[in-house]
Amino acid sequence: MRRVLLFIVILFSVSPLFSQNADSTWFVNNYSKIERSIPMRDGIKLFTSIYFPKDQAEKHPILMTRTPYSCAPYGENNYTSIWNRFQMAFAKEYYIFVTQDVRGRYMSEGEFVDVRPFIKNKKPGDIDEATDTYDAIEWLIKNVPGNNGNVGVYGTSYPGFYSTEAALSNHPALKAVSPQAPVTDWFIGDDFHHKGAFFQMDGFSFYPTFGKPHPKPTTNYGSGFQTKIKDNYEFYLQQGAIKNLDRIIGDSIKFWHELYKHPNYDSWWKERNARVGLYHVKPAMLWVGGLFDAEDLWGAWNTFKATDKQSPETNNRIVMGPWNHGRWGANDASFLGNVRFGSNTSAWYQQHIIIPFFDYYLMNKGDITNISKATIFETGTNEWKNYDQWPPKNVSYKDLYLDPHHELSFASNNATAKNTFDEYISDPEHPVPYTADVHEHRTIEYMSDDQRFASRRPDVLTYQTNLLTDDISLAGPVVADLMTSISNTDADFVVKLIDVFPDDFVYDKQMKGNNKDYPMGGYQMLVRAEIMRGKFRNSFETPAPFVPNKKTEVKYELPDVSHTFKKGHRIMIQIQSTWFPLVDRNPQQFINIYTANNSDYKKESIKIYHDSKIILPIIK
Amino acid sequence: MQRKIRLLAIFLMVFKFGNSQTIDSLWFVKNYDKREEKITMRDGVKLFASIYTPKDHSEKHPILMKRSPYSAAPYGAGSYWDFWNYYLKEYLKEGYIMVIEDVRGRWMSEGEFVNVRPLNPNKGPKDIDESTDSYDTIDWLIKNVEGNNGKVGVFGISYPGFYSTMAAASNHPALKAVSPQAPVTNWFIGDDFHHNGAFFIMDAFDFYSEMGSGFGTPHPEPTSAPLISKGYADHDNYKFYLETGPLSNFSNLLGYPVGFWNDLYSHPTYDAFWKARDARNATKNLKPAMLWVGGEFDAEDNWGAWNSYLAAEKNNPGKSFNKLVMGPWYHEQWLNNDGTHLGNVQFGSNTSDWYQQNVEVPFFNYYLKGKGDASKIAEATIFMTGANEWKQYSQWPPAGKQDKKIYLQPKGKLSWDKTTVGNSFTEYISDPSKPVPYTEDVHFNRSREYMTDDQRFAGRRPDVLEFKTEILNEDVTVTGNIMANISTSISTTDADFVVKLIDVFPDSLSFNMVDIYSDKDPVIKYPMGGYEMLVHGEIFRGKFRNSYETPQPFVPNKLDHVNFKLGDVAHTFKKGHRIMVQIQSSWFPLVDRNPQKFTDIYHAKESDFQKSTIRIYHDKVNESSLTLPILK
Repeated sequence: MRRVLLFIVILFSVSPLFSQNADSTWFVNNYSKIERSIPMRDGIKLFTSIYFPKDQAEKHPILMTRTPYSCAPYGENNYTSIWNRFQMAFAKEYYIFVTQDVRGRYMSEGEFVDVRPFIKNKKPGDIDEATDTYDAIEWLIKNVPGNNGNVGVYGTSYPGFYSTEAALSNHPALKAVSPQAPVTDWFIGDDFHHKGAFFQMDGFSFYPTFGKPHPKPTTNYGSGFQTKIKDNYEFYLQQGAIKNLDRIIGDSIKFWHELYKHPNYDSWWKERNARVGLYHVKPAMLWVGGLFDAEDLWGAWNTFKATDKQSPETNNRIVMGPWNHGRWGANDASFLGNVRFGSNTSAWYQQHIIIPFFDYYLMNKGDITNISKATIFETGTNEWKNYDQWPPKNVSYKDLYLDPHHELSFASNNATAKNTFDEYISDPEHPVPYTADVHEHRTIEYMSDDQRFASRRPDVLTYQTNLLTDDISLAGPVVADLMTSISNTDADFVVKLIDVFPDDFVYDKQMKGNNKDYPMGGYQMLVRAEIMRGKFRNSFETPAPFVPNKKTEVKYELPDVSHTFKKGHRIMIQIQSTWFPLVDRNPQQFINIYTANNSDYKKESIKIYHDSKIILPIIK
Repeated sequence: MQRKIRLLAIFLMVFKFGNSQTIDSLWFVKNYDKREEKITMRDGVKLFASIYTPKDHSEKHPILMKRSPYSAAPYGAGSYWDFWNYYLKEYLKEGYIMVIEDVRGRWMSEGEFVNVRPLNPNKGPKDIDESTDSYDTIDWLIKNVEGNNGKVGVFGISYPGFYSTMAAASNHPALKAVSPQAPVTNWFIGDDFHHNGAFFIMDAFDFYSEMGSGFGTPHPEPTSAPLISKGYADHDNYKFYLETGPLSNFSNLLGYPVGFWNDLYSHPTYDAFWKARDARNATKNLKPAMLWVGGEFDAEDNWGAWNSYLAAEKNNPGKSFNKLVMGPWYHEQWLNNDGTHLGNVQFGSNTSDWYQQNVEVPFFNYYLKGKGDASKIAEATIFMTGANEWKQYSQWPPAGKQDKKIYLQPKGKLSWDKTTVGNSFTEYISDPSKPVPYTEDVHFNRSREYMTDDQRFAGRRPDVLEFKTEILNEDVTVTGNIMANISTSISTTDADFVVKLIDVFPDSLSFNMVDIYSDKDPVIKYPMGGYEMLVHGEIFRGKFRNSYETPQPFVPNKLDHVNFKLGDVAHTFKKGHRIMVQIQSSWFPLVDRNPQKFTDIYHAKESDFQKSTIRIYHDKVNESSLTLPILK
């Protein structure tokens, strides 16, 4: 949900796609900017920046982003530096650009509600983000000079959520919507929680600033919480129980405290699941996401899937690339961390997908028949794949068994596997780091990081196949089906799917990379990982304790993958019970974690039996 | 002992120019002649030497010699060693005759090479050792090299440091000054291959094998052919050494028979074989002026530098010039042009340049040319890390240091007060299949900066115990040897104990902008706030706790004591910092894994390796502590 703009600006400053001087001059000379406060149906006014072409010879489409991150720069003489971004291509086609501060944020009036619930059966006077979008569109097509009556909406991260909600407005002028890394469900898979486990670090680095009160419209929220300790592992460990974070964040950050009151997937959370409104969606939809997006990977896959299922009549597509959060908007996405993709994947997406998509639906220009239902980058082979459904038709689900001696195999193991196990002690005082090295901020590349630092720990179980004799391509969700017994009443399970590169592997020097000269031989590339808070194994609504030392199944789905394990590589699975400080520590006893005390955190012994398996979506 | 020539080349980019004249390759060729000689030893064997002499014959010149197993290359009349790229150009300016000799049995020299050849205390007339080879060489040089002033100096780093110690023992009357630097001294107790009986498998294997530096390549006859390093297929030393398994599996990978490797495996305890190979045997009745030099963060021969100085001091009471320099250096860093930092830790000045200009060059100039004043060189010139200052002491350890214990406490605390709690311990499981890495990142070659590395990666593991003081409200300066006093019980019959003394930096420090890989990324931003700087770490193989000669098993789960010397340090823990101690039972792949079973580890099988539960006691009866030599 974090603001990606700053990050993108940094990337752009490295290699501007357009020559800054010429294009900035062109934009300022050819576009006018106005700022308007647009009244909503309940009288609340939303602040809106509008850039429109001076040339009125023909009509132009409107492309809008609704954001809680501000439509800065404010002032009709201050232009956003679109010339540094790929959106300059839209400017060259004279799109009208609109950015709106959502209700209750920055210069807009009203009350801000995080992931405001969609109201299905609205009464007159009811507002939600869909009605705000409807009212904004209605005003824009009637008031912006030279518009052609076609509106598109897009946005990444939190603005992705507002894009989903915009689609639900079903305003007839709204022809195309692209929610990108859309914030979708903050309990099940995006940002704050995955499977009920609290992503404290992202939450805590975001909310102290984002969650500040907004008594009246403002252009500035001020700065956030500064930690003295710059080592995030140390900082979060020293805070102890997560209720201590609630203490130091201060009283004014309302949503944070609200979060702590809803430890389970109750009706409060269910209302905040953006999928609930995805029925009878009229605009053409293009969902975009990153396969290595630490924030809203889940939302991208699952809004697309929900739309397919709940709104089959919708013109519904998805693009997933090898990207960290928002990277598809950047000028270069040839690599992420140490992993290289062999081509500039963001430029490809911009030129072949997003620009043609809006051009077609808003300007009736070009042809989009070659944009498939699902355009998915396959890491490993480093190729874009076109599928007419997702997961692809030719996928079959195959079990990969954990074997004794830290092996993995497709051959079903015999009955004795039920009785043999590997064991580790999970110690909340020494949680497994989510990445090597010392950092202040959560790294953008941890989802493709080398996992060798973790393999070396005694509290991480590692299983791997023999060297693969053929390529194995995965497309779809991965399911972990663990048979476990634990010595206390709760535990977390982190399952990581890893591609082990050959010992002598080196990248072709022609492939663009990060110039770090990292030893890639034997690299353990994280392909997918997900955590499961054990007590939710049967139900997110009703957590249930484990019976100590009783064999119990913990089965859960990891987000979809698109990856080929090449011949000569190995498939590896790692299992651990902490992922710190990305995720808060489980006290390892059945308790409300949000009110647990420091003394509630216990060591425990975790057994993983060899009849556990991982179910892989294998392309035949 | 490793050869670092390739590495050094990186540093040569930074040229420094002389005052009036640029000493460079052109200058050298114009001003020096080179000749190659085969010098006959007393037993008839001929040793090869490259001799560089000034063309200027207006005055007599001293001879400065290095004897080396790493080759007197480049060979051939028109090929020159690049002295001019180092501070060694200071000697060229002074007209020194520079000599490099291939030691017996290496490269272009005849005879049989014997690793760390024992000093023969009772020699017959034709008996040889490295001291007689030095003697015979010196004798030949002063008689045959034109224009020499009859005074000879010998120096060398690492293995050549060993040959410098042996040269000193020759006591040839022309030998006036010797500087053994990071001298290989005792390969069982503290240098290179073993520390306290624990085998430094990675340095050893890499040194001898054909995949590594190839030092073990057979030498049937004199040759100038460079050693061939075949290289490793792996990029990850942790994986390579773990997957290769027990030590016995490494012998087959050497690529050729290495007699000394077999010796290593046949002498698992500190027996007569090892005792004969203790170079301190050669520090008796030393006539030349001695300047011992070493690095406080030298991964190879830190022990040898401190301890051969101390032995020479003890064995030569009243000797006028037996002095010590220890700087904040990795192996050979004092030879380099950049001594401003090591890894992420900065020293505030160019310490190697200071040493070259203020200690080593004046030392040889005084003793070989009668120039200047060597009395300015203190008995012990020691760089105090933390304070980042050169200190000059009239003895080592300094007068006035007082040993003080700092005690491990429950809940990870460390304090000067004895604990009052009864029956208290912290335990961990040491698992030989998941040994604690010696450094965090993935790499193949043993990193040269690991001895100042951030230890936060280790503190995050469940099998590393951590004890730290409150924030210090005054500076604490430690000068001298540290003792670890560990009360322990283990669930098996053997275990290793690694004790690390760490300086925890204040949280408020910002990022480091030091260029830690000077040949690569221009700037590595490392978070220094909370940095856990390794000041000194050492391993002890538990079975040697009572005797290196006679190892003894532990009785499972019975309280026992492991007390050992961590080694000498010179460090100030500044006010606002903390002192930390980490304890762990593996240090991989730096050190081989202890099977944690009382056995001959060199012949242990994979199935001998087992987990052990290690308890470290910290109560009022069974204390664990470090004895710190505190200087007020």
